[in-house]
Amino acid sequence: MDRTKAPDLVEISSISLVEPAKRKEFPVPFYTMDQIPNSTSRIELYFNAGSIKGKVGLASVVSGLLLSGTDKMSSTEIHSAIDDLGGFHDVSLGHESVVVSLYGLNDKLYQIIRLYCESLINVTFYENEIQELKRDRKQRLKINLEKVSFLAQREFSKYLFHDSLYGRIIEEEDYEGITRDEIVDFHRQYYLSGLFKIVLVGDFDEEQIVKIQDVLLPICNHQERDFEKKLNNQKGKYHFEKAGALQTAIRIGRVLFNRKHEDYIDFLILNTILGEYFGSRLMSNLREDKGYTYGIGSMLSEFHETGYFLIATEVGKEHANNAIQEIENEIIRLQKEFVSDEELDLVRNYMLGQLLKSADGPYSMTDLCVGIYSFDLSVDFYDKYLHKIKTISPQRLQELAKKYLNWEDLTIVSAG
Amino acid sequence: MIEFERFTLTNGLKVLFHKDITTPMAVVNILYDVGARDESEEKTGFAHLFEHLMFGGSINIPEFDTPLQRAGGENNAFTSNDITNYYDILPAQNLDTALWLESDRMLSLAFTPKSMEVQRQVVIEEFKQRYLNQPYGDVWLQLRPLAYKKHPYKWATIGKDIKHIEDAEMDDVRSFFDKYYHPGNAIMCIAGNFELEDIQKKVEYWFGSIPGKLKPARIIPSEPEQKKYGELTLERKVPADAFYYAFKMSHRKSLDYYITDLISDALGREKSSRLYVRLKKELNLVTEISAYITGSLDEGLLMVSGKLNDGVSFEEVDQEIWKLLGEFTSELISEKELNRLNIKIRTAREFQDQGLLSRAMNLCYFELLGDAAGINEDLEVYNSITPEHLKEIGKKILKKQNCSVLRIKKEK
Repeated sequence: MDRTKAPDLVEISSISLVEPAKRKEFPVPFYTMDQIPNSTSRIELYFNAGSIKGKVGLASVVSGLLLSGTDKMSSTEIHSAIDDLGGFHDVSLGHESVVVSLYGLNDKLYQIIRLYCESLINVTFYENEIQELKRDRKQRLKINLEKVSFLAQREFSKYLFHDSLYGRIIEEEDYEGITRDEIVDFHRQYYLSGLFKIVLVGDFDEEQIVKIQDVLLPICNHQERDFEKKLNNQKGKYHFEKAGALQTAIRIGRVLFNRKHEDYIDFLILNTILGEYFGSRLMSNLREDKGYTYGIGSMLSEFHETGYFLIATEVGKEHANNAIQEIENEIIRLQKEFVSDEELDLVRNYMLGQLLKSADGPYSMTDLCVGIYSFDLSVDFYDKYLHKIKTISPQRLQELAKKYLNWEDLTIVSAG
Repeated sequence: MIEFERFTLTNGLKVLFHKDITTPMAVVNILYDVGARDESEEKTGFAHLFEHLMFGGSINIPEFDTPLQRAGGENNAFTSNDITNYYDILPAQNLDTALWLESDRMLSLAFTPKSMEVQRQVVIEEFKQRYLNQPYGDVWLQLRPLAYKKHPYKWATIGKDIKHIEDAEMDDVRSFFDKYYHPGNAIMCIAGNFELEDIQKKVEYWFGSIPGKLKPARIIPSEPEQKKYGELTLERKVPADAFYYAFKMSHRKSLDYYITDLISDALGREKSSRLYVRLKKELNLVTEISAYITGSLDEGLLMVSGKLNDGVSFEEVDQEIWKLLGEFTSELISEKELNRLNIKIRTAREFQDQGLLSRAMNLCYFELLGDAAGINEDLEVYNSITPEHLKEIGKKILKKQNCSVLRIKKEK
């Protein structure tokens, strides 16, 4: 055998997607996926309670108090009861929504949902629970502020979402100013009638789903959800000194768009070449050639109406200036030179493989589909995606780099 | 039930095959039976530095990542104190690419002095990023030598000192490869929608000609039984005081391991656990507290760690922790509480087993423990544990002379 010769490759020609079903005659979108070969199950509840709502820090505090106790059950009793059912739960706070995820074996999930929702609906917001949470959050903030990555990300948000609700960041004293009345109001407005999307994965029959619907119906959202349509990053270079830091965290990016934009998929391919995978230009240069960092990556992140592009890394303090210079060099190279056929071919195959992987299994498949429905698109988006990956030209990539990646248009933040 | 087949090549390579007809992907997972515990005390951090070099090119292939990405795949690896594990995930139709790459780097490495220099720098940055430039980042660098006196668990995987990485030489790295990276010291699992005969043919084709070697004997100092309570308080620039209680526990193959795992869950896994409810919710002494085990193959640690509320002293917390541990070991826990611990373990396991990679990795790990079939048996082991077991092992482990405490105090 000739070990120097790579085995022949078989290209991925299509992916097969099994779409979740959508419940009829329910006031908010409710998706269900029952093609699952085991007894695990998950429900995700999307609330219109993201951090752009209310005064700064309020959304975060309320999201941390959902299981803090009712008239009938203390916080500890609620947690014990969920644990008795083998349930796992998680609350994730975003700018535009809060997602409550509940996990359990499918013969227990209904009880977990009922218990969780009863606790969430009837939460009393005891003063001692509020004080405890504020205290924990303040301590966590103080610890996070010791990390250059957190500092840089936080300052970056300020400039990236300049002058908008998206760019607000919490300071320690903000927690002090949050009152119980504000918490109660926020909860009423954004939770008690704030549930705007439901995603259920698991082997459930119609009767069970109807029972779940009955629990959720009273808290469904009836209001128009509003989002910032246009964000503007404040361009320029900003540094935040952190005495004694051994590494400097760097965040570079700009406001861009989401998948509803015609350039989205093509830009995603450009982003992959630049910094989305291990063999990307940024990783090859800053890590594998220069050893400045343990890792560097770039990404495109989406909001309902807009989105942003981000490059993130932590580098040795002494390499900070060189690292920023090399990032600029890589971007200029994308604008000046065509991507070679060989590299483009590699990125094509890599992205097709990743798409296949992200459609593997009922959970991933559901996430992939629901991610599309959120933008009022249908799954033929992925046919387009496949087609664009296979046909994009070096000229087109260069055009996009020139259009969207001008160094003067970017916000550059470092902390260290 | 996770089904698998097993076969061994004449050069000693152990192979597991796990068939899953529902996935379009394939996983190749290779576990090398070498970790930081196999290093000498003068040259620590080697197993991990070496893992980085495994991507720097092999005898016939200049670079590992590119061909795999071209095949639509991705890969990564991790090193622990016990093992080094490499994995590739790629579309099933391109399985050969992963086997080609993995077999060539098992055959022989060909990294350059440049790749050595760069990876040395990368690991130094990793050292800074994870251990030095984070609040509480150096806790495990400090705690290990406090808890272990002889056993190589006394240093962290990243190394005892950055200097060991700075001083590493090409020759050291070569001899490390010769000793540990060969078929006799590896366990491979292939998972995906394949037929056993095809897998046997492919594995024989790619790996069959790699020369076999004897598995290196593992002679490492065992840890003498701890006789004395140990404690260390360090001042650091951190916003809150933190504590780390480390109790010695049994090795991975003992029933005691499973019992201790349940004990740690009862004490501090969830918000319904004993330490959380008492010290955080009732007494307001801490902002966070949890208990867990390190999961080591040799004698490991049961940890209790947390952070103090402002204005609370280490002494107050210390008193309450010991009081609670005393209660735990003098009473039997209820069946209800034991059931709660078991259903959490079972549920977590069901979710974990969903992932193809996780199944492949665990099969290799159980094979290392002695038999891959163990993957289907350990829930039974947890289920067989009684309140009496917890009390008995709790008594043995949760005592002062078996404990080392590290405290991180904020600088004034």
